[in-house]
Amino acid sequence: MNANPLVPYLGRLVEVCDLASEIKLFRVEMQNGGGAAFESFQPGQFAFVSAFGLGEAPFGIANATGRGPLVDFAVARLGSVTTGLHELGVGDQLGVRGPLGNSFPMDKFKGKDLVVLGGGIGGAPLRPVIQHVLDHRRDYGKLTILWAARQPSLLIFTDEYAEWQAASDTSLHLTVDKPEEGWEHSVGLITQLLEEVDPSRENAIAVTCGPPVMIRNVTKMLAGMGFAAGDSYVTLEARMHCGLGKCGRCNLGEKLVCVDGPVFNMAEVGNLLEAY
Amino acid sequence: MTITNVDGKSWLISQAELEAWLDSISNARTLIAPRQVSGTMLYRPVASIDEIAWYAGTPGSSPDNLPLLSVKEIFFPPTERLFKIQKTGQEIHLEEAYPEWETVVFGVRPCDARGVKLLDALFLDTNPVDSYYARRRANTTLIGLACKEAGPTCFCSSVGGAPDDARDMDIMLYETDAGYLAEAVTEKGRFLIPAGEWRETTSRSGPTPCMEQFPVPENGKWPEHFNDAYWARMSERCLSCRACAYVCPTCHCFAIRDELIGPGEFERIRCWDSCAGENYRRVAGGHRARPEKAERLRNRFFCKFYYYAGQTGLGNTSACTGCGRCIDVCPAGVDITEVLLDLGKPA
Repeated sequence: MNANPLVPYLGRLVEVCDLASEIKLFRVEMQNGGGAAFESFQPGQFAFVSAFGLGEAPFGIANATGRGPLVDFAVARLGSVTTGLHELGVGDQLGVRGPLGNSFPMDKFKGKDLVVLGGGIGGAPLRPVIQHVLDHRRDYGKLTILWAARQPSLLIFTDEYAEWQAASDTSLHLTVDKPEEGWEHSVGLITQLLEEVDPSRENAIAVTCGPPVMIRNVTKMLAGMGFAAGDSYVTLEARMHCGLGKCGRCNLGEKLVCVDGPVFNMAEVGNLLEAY
Repeated sequence: MTITNVDGKSWLISQAELEAWLDSISNARTLIAPRQVSGTMLYRPVASIDEIAWYAGTPGSSPDNLPLLSVKEIFFPPTERLFKIQKTGQEIHLEEAYPEWETVVFGVRPCDARGVKLLDALFLDTNPVDSYYARRRANTTLIGLACKEAGPTCFCSSVGGAPDDARDMDIMLYETDAGYLAEAVTEKGRFLIPAGEWRETTSRSGPTPCMEQFPVPENGKWPEHFNDAYWARMSERCLSCRACAYVCPTCHCFAIRDELIGPGEFERIRCWDSCAGENYRRVAGGHRARPEKAERLRNRFFCKFYYYAGQTGLGNTSACTGCGRCIDVCPAGVDITEVLLDLGKPA
């Protein structure tokens, strides 16, 4: 991190592409000290991205290290900062502050099956998990990806589904609430898909991210299916402003999402005073 | 009285000596002291010692015992610039801004100094260090003034403080019938004392004002009150106006945002915020973690008496200093001592 961790590194946008309707992928080349700071971030960590003049907002880093020097962010256009980011183009400078927070214990996951459940833009911080597993394929067991969105036009990383499906011992299952013409996959909530796919909980880890209501329902179902609380991981979102444990905005009971999380297992989240 | 004297020396000075000393301090440094600003007492820079609003019980006193805002604002201002942003085409230039001035604050009440110490636990002692707070803290000397009498809403002694608690000051002054008794608490304080000019004394300060003490539930007792119906009842009064957080010596929540200051020029600022605000916890997509007022009110109390100490490694410490300001300013009669008394009652 920067000597003053509230001051972002500058980065240059080297690639911008549409991921889905109103969702863009920004690929950032870090500048000055930022290159070293972002050399070895871990799956699950996040960073603040600045649209200078409009502010900054936290985003889960959307790629794994080891696939080149760029840092990826998937940004849904929802508020003023994300709208400002959507107006940026290749060559523009933006600010990146981080990497922050804890990460998925990928070492602990070694030798286990992984069930990855992503809903909407919540799939973005799970992409580094998927990429990490694919890049270290022999270290992990079966990879089952359940990917959901409200409608097909909101599914993210569609260009990569072929890569995911082509990997050994890997399966991808898609569902949407509202299908469109030509949709050939499941229709319904991700919980229905989870019931259908019914992944094995033997020596398995589940990793979930999506809107709060989805996280609640999915983790509840996973528990019912026999996933131990300690084997069911989530990454939580909070509208934090500093990411350093100071601004106080992201507490869930006694925990701070920014420094105690954003990754928690359900054994930890279950003990929190407050629900997410 | 709490003695935390750094060199074992005490001085007895008159009002005139005190004023002469403050005057000399103000010549070399920024002197901040209680001052009347449009009828409100605030800690503000004073150009001359005539501007100092002496507290109740001191010569030329006003009826106030405490400035409306705590000394928190000197170290953690309501709004401060983090850095300046210049945009030229696609290029960005950032210019970091840090406070550099040397400041002496006179007339700090023990509850306020306790508040600063509690904020230190977060901004200085919990990694990473907050660069802005740290600079202001390093460049500031606190001259305390023990309280001769307790104000109507004061309760510092119930939360681990005392009206003459010197431990968080650099220099402590006690009003006595013979004048002010002065003691250096830290090396930084000792540096400011004109030892050659002042009369040493062996006397000690006058009696500590009596304060009614009431039991405050220990930190570990709070979780069992989390689901009490009490919070919904108490929150019926709350207006979510956030005044309690702004006057609190230890409420530290903030927001960060960018503001336009000129063509292509912006500043990133941080400003006070409060968990009482309805949209405080809103995330992308509109989900709010604490939609109910009861949840937000409860959060403030839990932060003060349970969360904060845990997050900053303070153990069984209250993050409330008993200054009573939140009681004074609440337009709806939410009284922190009433809540503490209610929770402390046997079930």
